[in-house]
Amino acid sequence: MLAYITRRLVYGLVTLLALSMIVFSLLQASGGGPLDRLKLNPRMQDLIAQLTKDWGLDQPLWRQYLTWLWNYVTPNDFSPLWVPLVAIAIAAGVTFAIVKLVKYQWKGAAILAVWVLAVYGAVTNMTIRFNWGISFQGFGDVWDLVFSRVGATFRLGFTALAIALIIGIPLGIYQAIRQYSFFDQLGTMGAFLMFSTPIFIIGVGLQIILALYLEKWTGVKLFFVTGMNDPGYANLSLIQRIIDTIQHLALPAISIALISLAGYSRFQRASMLEVLHSDYLRTAKAKGLPRRKVVVKHALRNAMIPIVTLVSLDIAFMIGGAIITESIFGWPGVGRLYITAIAGIDYPVVMAIVMVIGIGIVAMNIIADILYGVMDPRVRYD
Amino acid sequence: MTQPLLRVTDLRTYFSTEEGVVRAVDGISFDLQPGERRGVVGESGSGKSVTAMSIMRLIEPPAGEIVTGRIEYKGANLLEMAEDEMQAVRGGQIAMIFQDPMTALNPVYTIGDQLMETITLHQKVSKREARDIAMQALADVQIPNPVARLEEYPHQFSGGMRQRVMIAMGLSCNPDILIADEPTTALDVTTQAKIMDLMLGLADERNTAVLLITHDLGVVAGFCDTIQVMYAGGIVESGSGDEIFHNPQHPYTWGLLGSMTRLDQAQQVRLHSIAGAPPSVIDLPVGCRFRPRCEFAQDICGRVLPPLVETGAGRSVACHFAEELDLKAIDVRHRETEAEEVIS
Repeated sequence: MLAYITRRLVYGLVTLLALSMIVFSLLQASGGGPLDRLKLNPRMQDLIAQLTKDWGLDQPLWRQYLTWLWNYVTPNDFSPLWVPLVAIAIAAGVTFAIVKLVKYQWKGAAILAVWVLAVYGAVTNMTIRFNWGISFQGFGDVWDLVFSRVGATFRLGFTALAIALIIGIPLGIYQAIRQYSFFDQLGTMGAFLMFSTPIFIIGVGLQIILALYLEKWTGVKLFFVTGMNDPGYANLSLIQRIIDTIQHLALPAISIALISLAGYSRFQRASMLEVLHSDYLRTAKAKGLPRRKVVVKHALRNAMIPIVTLVSLDIAFMIGGAIITESIFGWPGVGRLYITAIAGIDYPVVMAIVMVIGIGIVAMNIIADILYGVMDPRVRYD
Repeated sequence: MTQPLLRVTDLRTYFSTEEGVVRAVDGISFDLQPGERRGVVGESGSGKSVTAMSIMRLIEPPAGEIVTGRIEYKGANLLEMAEDEMQAVRGGQIAMIFQDPMTALNPVYTIGDQLMETITLHQKVSKREARDIAMQALADVQIPNPVARLEEYPHQFSGGMRQRVMIAMGLSCNPDILIADEPTTALDVTTQAKIMDLMLGLADERNTAVLLITHDLGVVAGFCDTIQVMYAGGIVESGSGDEIFHNPQHPYTWGLLGSMTRLDQAQQVRLHSIAGAPPSVIDLPVGCRFRPRCEFAQDICGRVLPPLVETGAGRSVACHFAEELDLKAIDVRHRETEAEEVIS
C-alpha cells in the first residue's frame, strides 16, 4: 500500500513536470507578449526594456522555464520541509477519516475529522509563501493573488458540492428503490431538464426570480446577486456576517449544485439499480434481513463505489473554478482570474493556476484510487 | 395423516410485462413432508424458480405478483403473514440456496460478516457465539482452515467453495426447509456430486426437508425421494422417484426420460428430443399445455385442461389418458426411428 502510494506520487510529480513544460511552451508559442500593449506608446521604450530585463523575458526559453520552476517550488519564508509534511498529514487524515466512515466506525471518523480541522487551522494561520512571481498585469504577488481566489472558489465549490451530494445521492437512491414510480419519473425529467440547461440560463434565471422579483413583490432582500460579501463586512457582528455570507453564497452555489446534482442523481440511480438487481441482494433478502438493512448495508456500500471516483474528480476540477458562474455572480474566484490572466498574457498567474489545478487533479486521483481499494476489497494494489 | 410441513395450494404467480401477463406459475399444489427430499424438474421457464421465490415471498411487485393461492408452513399461511413475521421465516425456518455462487455473495463483506449476519438475525447469540457457529458451519461444509477463511472475501473463494459457503449460510440456523435452486448448475461436473452429497447429508443430519429445483434428471434420480415434473407453469406429474423413472404416466415425462443419456443402453440409439418448443406462458394454449407437442393428443386435449389427478398412492398425473396410455411399454427411441424411416 505504502509502496503503491509512493509510486503514484512519483508518477504524479512526473505528470506535473510534463504539464508545466507543455503549458509553459504553449504560452510562449501563442504569440504576443505581456508587454505588447505598452508598445503602442512611443514614450514607453525605456520601461519596456527595463521590464523585459527584470522579468527575464530576454532570456532563452529553457532558462526562463528553469527559473520559474525553481522559484515555484521554493518557499520564501518557510522551511521547505514543512510543506509536504503538512500536505501529507492533511491528506492522510482526510483519507483515514473517510475510511473509518465507510466502515461505520463513527467515533474514529469524528476524531480524525477534528484532527484534520486542527491541522488545517494551524496551517492557515501560519505564514507559508512560495515565490510564484509578480503578476505582469500589476495584480501584485501571484501567491497572494491565487490563494485569495482559491479560498473564494473553495467556498463556492464545496458549498455547491455539498448541496449536490446531500440532495443528489439520496434522490438517486430513492429513485432506484421506487423505480418507475411517479416520483422517479419526475426526478428523471427534472434531472434531464437541469442537465441540458446552460449554467448561464440557470444562474441568470435564479437572479431574476429569487433576487429581483422576490424583492420587487415582497420587499424582502433575501439574496444578493453579486460579490462574496458586503463592502461593510468588517463592521458586521458575527451573526450578521454569517447571514451576509449565506445571502451572497446561496444563488451561485445553487446554480452549480442544480446541474451537478442532476448528474449525481442519475449516476447514483443507475448504480443503485444495478446493485438492487444483483444476486447478492436477493441473497440478503432471502436471509430474512429487513428491507431497510438490505438497502443500507448491502446495496448502498456497493452502489457508492463508482460515485467515489466521480466526486473525487469533480473536486479536482472544482479547484479550477467555475468560470461562467463566477462571471455571472461577480464571484472573486480562480476561474475569473484565470480568464483575465490568459487575456492579459500574464504568464506567472496562468502558470500558477494551471499548476494548482494540476496538483489538485493528481492528488484527487490518488485519493480516489485509495478509497476505491478501501470500499471494494477486490481492488488490489500491486 | 400428519400435517405436511409445507402445503402449497393452487399457487398462481403472474408477471406483467409489456407483451402481456406472464403466467409463470399457474395453479400448482403440492405438499412437502418433514425431512423429505423433493425434486422439482422442468425446462427453463417452466416456473420452477418462480415457485421457490413465491414460497420465500421474494416476488417483487409491481413486476410480479402472487395472484391467488395458499402457502401453508406448519399450518400458517405465509402469504398472509406480516412482513416482519415473514422475515423470521426467511433464512431462519426456510432457507434458500441460489444457482450462481459467483454472484450470490456480497463482494464487499467478508464471508464471516455475511455468515454471522444470518446467525445473529435468527438466533439470540452474542457476537462471539455467532462467530463460533459460523466457524462450525464452515467446518461442516468441509472448508479447510475455517478460522482464517472467515476473514476472507468472496473473491478469494472458488465457485465450489462459494457454494459451500452458501450451503453453510443456508443451514446455519437449522431451517426446517432448504430450497436449493439449481445449486450445482454453475459448477463443473466433478464438484457437482460432492456438493450435492454434502448438502443432502447435512440436511439429513438436521432433518431438514429439501426442495431441490433442477433441470437435471440425473440429479433428481440420484438424490430425491419424490419428484414433481413442471411444464409451462403447471405440475404435469408427481410421484416417487422410482415411479416417475420406471413408469412415467405423462407423455412429457416420458419424452424427458427418453432424452436422457443412459449408460445401460446401447450407444447407437439416438437421443430423443421432444418436438417443438414449450408454449409462451403469455399465450397459453386452451386445453392441455403440452398438447401441441404431444404425439398422443386427442380432441379433448385441445378443449379441456386436464387436472392433476391422483392415480395411485402419492402419485398424480395431469393427463386425460393417463390410465389408457401404457407409456412404459412404448420405447420412445424406437418410435422415432420408425418415424424417420417413414419420412425418408
